[in-house]
Amino acid sequence: MDLENKLNPEAAEEAAPLREKSGRPAHPQLPEGYIPPSAVPDVHEAHDVGEGMSKKEAMKIRMQSMNKQEIAYLRRKQIFEKCWPVFRFLILFGLGFVILTPLMFMISYGFRENTDMNDPTIIWIPRHLTLRIMKQTINAMGLTQTKNNPLINTLVLNIGCSLCQVVTCALTGYGFARFRFKGRNLLFGIVILMILVPTQIISIPLYSTFRNFLFGHVNLIDNKLVMYLPALTANGIRAGLMIFIFRQFFRGLPKELEDAAYLDGCGPLMTFLRVMVPNAGSSFLTVFLFSIVWYWNDYYVASSFFTNTKTISLVLKNLDGTLNIAIFNNANANVSAREKIVWLEAGCLISITPMLILYALLQKHFTEGIERSGIVG
Amino acid sequence: MKIPYERRKALYGYGFISIWMIGTLLWFLIPLLESLCYCFMDNAQLKPDVGGMHKVWLWSVGQNWLANFKYAFAADPQYKQNLITVLKDTAITTPMILIFSLFIAVILNQEFKGRGFARAIFFLPVIIATGPVYNIISGDIASTGADSGAQFSTLFETDIVDQLLEFLGVMNISAQLSDIINSVVTNIFGLVWSSGIQILIFLAALQNIPVSAKEAASMEGATAWEYFWKITLPYVSPMILANFIYTVIDSFTKTDNLVMARVLDKQLDWDYAYAAAMAWSYFAIVMVVVGIVVMIINKFIFYEVE
Repeated sequence: MDLENKLNPEAAEEAAPLREKSGRPAHPQLPEGYIPPSAVPDVHEAHDVGEGMSKKEAMKIRMQSMNKQEIAYLRRKQIFEKCWPVFRFLILFGLGFVILTPLMFMISYGFRENTDMNDPTIIWIPRHLTLRIMKQTINAMGLTQTKNNPLINTLVLNIGCSLCQVVTCALTGYGFARFRFKGRNLLFGIVILMILVPTQIISIPLYSTFRNFLFGHVNLIDNKLVMYLPALTANGIRAGLMIFIFRQFFRGLPKELEDAAYLDGCGPLMTFLRVMVPNAGSSFLTVFLFSIVWYWNDYYVASSFFTNTKTISLVLKNLDGTLNIAIFNNANANVSAREKIVWLEAGCLISITPMLILYALLQKHFTEGIERSGIVG
Repeated sequence: MKIPYERRKALYGYGFISIWMIGTLLWFLIPLLESLCYCFMDNAQLKPDVGGMHKVWLWSVGQNWLANFKYAFAADPQYKQNLITVLKDTAITTPMILIFSLFIAVILNQEFKGRGFARAIFFLPVIIATGPVYNIISGDIASTGADSGAQFSTLFETDIVDQLLEFLGVMNISAQLSDIINSVVTNIFGLVWSSGIQILIFLAALQNIPVSAKEAASMEGATAWEYFWKITLPYVSPMILANFIYTVIDSFTKTDNLVMARVLDKQLDWDYAYAAAMAWSYFAIVMVVVGIVVMIINKFIFYEVE
C-alpha cells in the first residue's frame, strides 16, 4: 500500500473497497484530509532504483530515458548551481565590505592617538591604542554633564515621541483602513502629501507657529513640546509613512475578527484595543523601532526648533565647532585637519552605538517586521 | 435618537482620525499654505525677525508676485545650474538604486548559509544613513583615501568597459555611457548606503510571491533568467513603483542635494520668500516628473488581485 495508507490505516480500509468498485476513490464519502493515492508521487519505485546505488549512478540511469534537451537543461542547471554560490559570495562580500567600511573605520580611528594619522604605514590597525580621544570626545559632546545631557535628552524625547506617535498613527491608520466616510480619499491624499512634502518646505512657517503659539501668548521654541505636540497628533517625523504602514497592515487583517467583537457588543474603540492591537503586536514594534531610529537620526527638525536643548545628532553635527573651542583652541594643541578626523570618528561611533545595540538585539523585528507589517499589499 | 449603522460607522471613522486631523491642520496644512504664500511675497513683506514671521496671506500679494520665480530662473547664477545637476543626478541614480536593490533583494531571498548575517549587514544603512553620521563618514573616508568604493571599483576596471565600447564601435554613446558607468562605480558607496529601505521593501515583495508560482515555473523547467523576467518581475512590479517614489523623495532630504542646500543657505540669510520659491519650484518640477513616470510605469504593473 501507499505511504498514505500506512499513516492513516483506518482511512485506507474505508477507502479500499470504494476504489475497487469504481476504479477511482469516491471523494464525498472520504474522511477529510484524505489525499487520493494518485496525487501522491510514487515513492516506491524511486526507492527501488536508488537502492544500493550511488546518486551518480541513479542519475545516469534516469538520464538514459531523457532526450537531449532535457539533458542540456539539467547540465546547465547543474553548472549554474555550482558557480552561482561563488559569485554570490563574491558580490555579497564586496558589498558587505563597502557597508562595513565606515564602521571598521570608526572603530579603528576612534581608538588611536591622533599622531597615528601622520604615519602613512597605518591604515587599519592603530599603533598607539588609546581611550584618550574617546574620553575627550565624550566630554566635548557634553555626555558627562548632569544638566542638559544630550544622551538623556535624546533618549527621553525619542521614546516619548515614538510612543505617542505609534499610538496616534495606529489610531489614524485604523480609521483609514476600516471605516467608510465622506472625504476619506481626499484625507488619505493628505497623508500621501505628508509623505511627499519635504520638511524643509514647511519648517519656516512652522517656526513662527511655534514661536507665536496660542496667538502669540506662548513661545514654544526650545521647548520639548515642539517635538511632543506633533507626535501626539500623529504629525511627527515621517508620520505620513507610519500612518500608511498601519493602514496597510490593518487592511490585511481579516474583517471577521471585528465583526465578532461588534456582535458581542464591543464599541469600536474597545474593538480596536481588545482585538486589533493584540494582533498587530509585531507591526507596532517595527514601527516603534523605526520611529526611534528616525528621531535619533533627525537633526533638521531639532536644529530648527531647539536653541539650547541638545540632542545627540545636533551635538554630532556641531562637533567640529565644539572641538575647535574645547580642544584645538589651546595653543599647545597643534592639531592638523587630518588629525581632527580621529575625534570626529570617535563622535560618530559614540552616537551610533546605542542604535547598533538596539539593532543587534532586535534585528529580526527590524527586518521581518516590515515584511509582515504589510508595507506590501 | 437612533443613528443608522452606516452613519454611525462613518462617525466612528472621523473619531479615529480626528486627532490626526487636528494635528495635520496645525502642523502641516497651515504651514504648507503659508510657505506657498511666501513664494509670492517680497521678502520685505515677511519682516523676518527673532519673533518669527509676520503672518501673510495671499491677499497681501503685491503687483510683482512672480518676482521670486523670475529671479530664480532668469537671474540667479546658481539655481538653474544646481537644479539641472540635481535632476540629472536623480535621473541617473534612481534607476540604479532600483536595479541594484532589486538585485540584492533577489540574492538575499535565496537560501544560503549566513543569510541572516548578510541581511543584517545590508539593512545596517537603514539605521545609520539618515543621520548626520553619514555626512561625516562619507566625507572623512574620501579625505583619507581609504575609500572602499574606489577599492571596490578596481574590481570592475572601468577602462575595460570604455575600451570594450570603443571596440564595439558605438563611439557616440560610449562617452556618455562610460560616464554613467564611471559615476555609478565610483559612487558605489553612496549607492549601497542609500538603498537599504528599498532592499527591505523588495525583499518583502519577493517573499509574497506564492509558492505555487514558483513550483509551476520549476515544473515547466524555467531557467533562473526566465524565472526572473516572468515571475519575479511581475510580482514585485507594484513595489518598483513604491520604491521609485520613495527614492525620489529620499533624494530631497539628502545632504548632498545642491538645490536644498541652496534653499537652506537662503533661509539662513533670512531670505525666506526666495527660499520658499526655490523649494516650491523644485518640488513642483519633481512632482510633475514623478507623476509622468508613475503614469508610464503604471501601465506595466501587474496586480495580482482586483
